[in-house]
Amino acid sequence: METAPAANPISGDELLVVENVKKYFPITRGIIFQKEIASVKAVDGVSFSIKPGETLGIVGESGCGKSTLARCIIKLLESTDGKITFEGRDITRLSRPAMRPIRREMTMIFQDPYASLNPRKRVGFIIGEPLEVHGLGSSSEIKRRVQELLEVVGLNPEHYNRFPHEFSGGQRQRIGVARALAVNPKLIVCDEPVSALDVSVQAQILNLLKDLQDDFGLTYIFIAHDLNVVRHISDRVMVMYLGKVAEIASREVLYREPKHPYTGALLSAVPIANPDTGRKREAIVLEGDVPSPVNPPSACNFHPRCPRFVEGHCDVEEPPLYSFGPGHIAACHYALERWPMTASEMRRAGSSTTQEREQSEQLPA
Amino acid sequence: MALLDIRDLSTSFRTEDGVVKAVQGVNFSVEKGQTLGIVGESGCGKSVTCLTIMGLNPKRNTVSSGEALWKGKDLLTSSPRELREIRGDEISMIFQDPMTSLNPVHTIGRQLVEAVMLHRDVTKRIARARALELLKAVGIPKAENRIDDYPHQFSGGMRQRVMIAMALINDPDLLIADEPTTALDVTTQAQILSLMKRLQEDFGSAIIMITHDLGVVAEIADDVLVMYAANVVEQAEVHDLFNHPQHPYTWGLMGSLPRLDADVERLTQIPGQPPSLLRPPSGCRFHPRCPYVMEVCKTTVPALEPTAHDADHLQKCHLDQETKDREAAKLLAATMAEAG
Amino acid sequence: MFRYLVRRILWAMLLFLVITFVTFVIFYVGPNNPARAVCGGEQAKRACLVQATRKLGLNKPMPVQYYRFLKKLVIHQDLGTSFATSQSVNQRIKEAAPVTASLVLGGAVLWMIIGLSVGIFSALKPRSLLDRAAMVFVLIGVSAHPVWIGLIFEYVFGVKLGWTPIANYANFFGAPGDSGLPGGPWQWFYHLILPWCTFALLFAALYVRMIRANVMETLNEDFVRTARAKGAPERQVLISHVLRNALLPVVTMLGMDIGIALGGAIFTETVYQLPGLGQTAIIGISNQDLAIVQGVIVFATVAIIIFNLLVDLLYAWIDPRIRLT
Repeated sequence: METAPAANPISGDELLVVENVKKYFPITRGIIFQKEIASVKAVDGVSFSIKPGETLGIVGESGCGKSTLARCIIKLLESTDGKITFEGRDITRLSRPAMRPIRREMTMIFQDPYASLNPRKRVGFIIGEPLEVHGLGSSSEIKRRVQELLEVVGLNPEHYNRFPHEFSGGQRQRIGVARALAVNPKLIVCDEPVSALDVSVQAQILNLLKDLQDDFGLTYIFIAHDLNVVRHISDRVMVMYLGKVAEIASREVLYREPKHPYTGALLSAVPIANPDTGRKREAIVLEGDVPSPVNPPSACNFHPRCPRFVEGHCDVEEPPLYSFGPGHIAACHYALERWPMTASEMRRAGSSTTQEREQSEQLPA
Repeated sequence: MALLDIRDLSTSFRTEDGVVKAVQGVNFSVEKGQTLGIVGESGCGKSVTCLTIMGLNPKRNTVSSGEALWKGKDLLTSSPRELREIRGDEISMIFQDPMTSLNPVHTIGRQLVEAVMLHRDVTKRIARARALELLKAVGIPKAENRIDDYPHQFSGGMRQRVMIAMALINDPDLLIADEPTTALDVTTQAQILSLMKRLQEDFGSAIIMITHDLGVVAEIADDVLVMYAANVVEQAEVHDLFNHPQHPYTWGLMGSLPRLDADVERLTQIPGQPPSLLRPPSGCRFHPRCPYVMEVCKTTVPALEPTAHDADHLQKCHLDQETKDREAAKLLAATMAEAG
Repeated sequence: MFRYLVRRILWAMLLFLVITFVTFVIFYVGPNNPARAVCGGEQAKRACLVQATRKLGLNKPMPVQYYRFLKKLVIHQDLGTSFATSQSVNQRIKEAAPVTASLVLGGAVLWMIIGLSVGIFSALKPRSLLDRAAMVFVLIGVSAHPVWIGLIFEYVFGVKLGWTPIANYANFFGAPGDSGLPGGPWQWFYHLILPWCTFALLFAALYVRMIRANVMETLNEDFVRTARAKGAPERQVLISHVLRNALLPVVTMLGMDIGIALGGAIFTETVYQLPGLGQTAIIGISNQDLAIVQGVIVFATVAIIIFNLLVDLLYAWIDPRIRLT
């Protein structure tokens, strides 16, 4: 049986390697003394890696842990367990001062362009602050650099002295991009950078991010709940469900032949902006809501909602990340045989398990 | 006779900075059982149009003109009492944010019962039975145990189901849904959309679906209005709109959409920002952002006219038919390139 | 709900211990010798001092003194005896408390009536004449000191117009002419009108402003729009959907403000010569009668703690979101 490590070999030239990272938030209860009675397993053993210049999309619904994971990577949150290696250096338990030079290498763009910019500071200060913090240049050099950055992200350099409220949502997100870009980072973690924006403005920002990647050789972790957006921008995509990895594959493969039933359900749930093709297909509508991460379902945490659920297997034995070809892994005992599928086809779980299929394929060879 | 007939509807708000013309000269009609999609970006006037029909704009600073004929009777000139009797009974509405649209201090049962008793002369017991029936119809599991729960005990998707139950409880002829799935996750959105489709078949209500998502419109609408800066810029049957889009703004919207069914290296972006409605641009309101802008666009407002091919396909643009056909075909070819 | 209740009660008890301890330390470990106060100040005789020291237990270590004080307080509800008059402190407080309670609770009722009616109406008709007048009232109420207002009221209504008495208190119970002093509900009410108005003005102003803001904010809530979209008449929208939500924070504020108001009552009591807790405390301070002062503080503390506990429970009862956590 092939599992994750074989499918995801670490060759040494990865920019970032995340291994079995967990983040649990304790829930305390007590009348005077607070004792921990349970924990929210926001991220529960996630592993992946990124090569320089690559864009990894992370998709999942609210509460799947994608934002928490991003914050663990960039060390805004201390992960409970696991290992994060950046440029070959273990940064998991680095102290604040030791982390400082690394903060120049990875920055973040946030979702809400209204809340993430200090309303009382001028744009020049907001963008220049990271430069100042890291002591990169005199004040006149910083000013020149900020004006250059404004130009790079498509804003007027003369707007240096304006306040955030004088800009529209899309322009503010450009300011956020300029700030993330200021220190010449290698990796930018984008946490839902376009979800608060209108479609036409969203396209502007997506194009900008792509251009910047080409110009500066940036590596992105791009977190979003919109599968269309993730497909557009990513090289590889990771699907998360309830704190765990459901599937990782290259963009083409994931959208063409998803293996995890959750990925399939997600893909079929996306409305298609074409009434001719869109209405012909039958959406696979999942039952119920995402369960609470406090008491996640046993074994495969997707089993209560899965159309292919096999009792006595999926709820007992946790599926490992099976390999389905180079760089394609999915955590499902009864992976999808083909795609697309109708809901009723999907419900008929494969007669053989993923494991059996793999073995039978190997026999002739 | 159309169920709802909107004629030359305009709404403006007096603000401290001046008069905001939020909706200008909108015409459309909704037939029984039909689904009309209104699509556009934030601030284009799609929500205000519907709030005007419902009489839910703040009275203090709003001026509306035109006609909103509901079964032949003008809603704009109806008394508050007459409007109240129609609201929640013949026309009902669901809103974008299910987290804030229910009253946090009352049980959902009480809020549903209230909706029934406002319009039906029935006992509380009968109203409660009806509430339970609707909660089951919208797929709330163990509805009899949950009817006395408070809104905060429900997830977002479940709250939106409760909102839909409340909207349908009096068998309305028209349901206005203002971005009902925007705040929801994609699998929940699929649940709600399929629920709305099923309920429309069961209840036979007409639906006005307001959304910014072309995908949602393509899934659910029969006819579509595209709005930009308080104007309707294009209006067509849904297949017609997606196969022969006629307005540069519609092209922009379609081109700027990353999609699952096609591969594009670079999205066609609409440059600039939507205009301020305090001081809208002269002529065609889209002209400052339009890649096909001509001199005439800057001075003359184009009329909303039928296209040369189709009397039911209206568009508001000065471009000649030949250019439009060519550009529409180009756009379609680009998005269909790898469709499958 | 039970957990919440237990936690609130435990917090209240802890608060009680902390405040009594601090009060105790300040008064018994401070520079004033209580024994001297008992024996009549500076000219105290030595024999008297020795006796008083023993009687008050001042020769014992401090924790023992505190323990005795607490034991007396908790088991016998005994606040000790006045140093100056040898009268029981309990008795003094029993006489003074109803006066202050009448003033504060009556004042609270008055300020809530004004706050609710003016606040709600000006929220419903913003920028109307009433709203603008209300804002002027708020400005005056917030800026004017109760002593100054009291004196103005006394002069205008009591002296010039002669509508009301200018001072003193009348017992609610107790027949007129019973002890030379007027009594009975009407006299009680008659004597308290001016103090109430004086006392309530500041809070009425604050509450008008707060209630107006809360109601206006709630009117913009999505669920209010939902209620209107259901076809609910404006009256029902207001009562069933707006007010309940808008007044939730007011309940909390009321709980906190009663404590502040108790302090503010001192001014009003002084101006109108009402023999309430505030005046008792002031007399106690000027006589260096620490037992009295301490008694008033402990009593007021307990009253505030109990009141806050009630408000917390009330809040949990009206807000389901708190009830269930």
